Amino acid sequence: MHGPADDSLIARVAEELRRPVAARPGFDERVMAAVRAEAPSLPARAWTWLTEPRSFVVTPLGGLATAAGLAALVIAGVVATSGRERPGAARGAALQPAAVAAPTVVTFVLVAPRATSVALAGDFDGWDRVKLPMRRASAGLWTLDVPLAAGRYRYAFVVDGRRFVADPTAPPAVDDDFGQPTSVVTVSGRAAAGGSL
Amino acid sequence: MIRRILSLALVLAVPVAAHAQVERLSGRLPEPTRAAVVAIVDSARAEGLPTDPLVNRALEGASKGAEGARIVAVVRSLADRLRDARTALGASATEAELVAGAAALRVGATPAFLARLRRESPREPLVVPLAVMADLVARGVPADTAATSVLALVRSGVRDADLVAFRENVERDIALGAGGGAAASVRAGDVAAVGVPVLNNPKTGTTPTPPTPRKP
Repeated sequence: MHGPADDSLIARVAEELRRPVAARPGFDERVMAAVRAEAPSLPARAWTWLTEPRSFVVTPLGGLATAAGLAALVIAGVVATSGRERPGAARGAALQPAAVAAPTVVTFVLVAPRATSVALAGDFDGWDRVKLPMRRASAGLWTLDVPLAAGRYRYAFVVDGRRFVADPTAPPAVDDDFGQPTSVVTVSGRAAAGGSL
Repeated sequence: MIRRILSLALVLAVPVAAHAQVERLSGRLPEPTRAAVVAIVDSARAEGLPTDPLVNRALEGASKGAEGARIVAVVRSLADRLRDARTALGASATEAELVAGAAALRVGATPAFLARLRRESPREPLVVPLAVMADLVARGVPADTAATSVLALVRSGVRDADLVAFRENVERDIALGAGGGAAASVRAGDVAAVGVPVLNNPKTGTTPTPPTPRKP
């Protein structure tokens, strides 16, 4: 219970509270500067975000998929690293194409107007007489493109399925131990170093 | 764990690859010849030597109709040269280097030349220098002159393309009547001293660029 005197007191107090308080100039800026100074830095916030414990709910299938993905990433990293550490792999980009660089496409050409068929046989196809048939172009020109990794390859043309013919534009193989014409092409990884290009 | 998995995969892959190589010989060689070649291949594999070149050489002999004894002798000789090449070039030599090194040894290069080449260019693949040396001998350049020329060029830091251009110029000189030794010596001296081949590249018809260090 309260009387009119109390109401008057309450009214005076409320009026006093409603009256604006005059602050000193720059007070707001000083307050905000203090707030900013006390805010945690970006690294601190990041650290807090990283170290703050969290709970995850994962289904067995989701967990399995995540584990498989991580394993694939690790294996890919190991394989990539071991590839870089292989001896000779530095310039291997140029000379060790098998592992690093794409094979070089070598164009083999033979002029044999009277031939009914020409195939290419060499170290790159197990010296198979029929595996790499050459295409007849015009005027008895036979050609074939073969992608080769870096290295030295011995080869010969097989004319009409039985006759071995050396490449007249390539160095002959001195190490021809079987008494048949044999040529040599050397691929450095950037361009063929033999006589077929 | 990963290392174990990779090791296991390697252990499983090696016999598979070996079996595939032996399979390539089946049906291409008579059985006694095939058995003898497989024995050489297995021995080479045990030594860590590349075996594909041995299988390829046997297949070459078969394709060319060579006798079995000849094929076995050639494959065994190649295995010996691959072994010598690895000794000279070092255990880190690649298969392509060993094949090229074996070819160089076959035409008269010495293991000392291979080792010297490796010392002069320890981190660069030597496939092209070794192949150029063998190719020059095939064109009639004396082996010692070819070796000396290639060594001088490698020491001067030329690129693979310059070595190939050098070989092509020597071939052209020989075709025009020059002696092989003289052509190689003169051309190598030109490249090493002046820095550029004297003549244009006969295949491209372009003026060669000055050689630069052999880098990737």
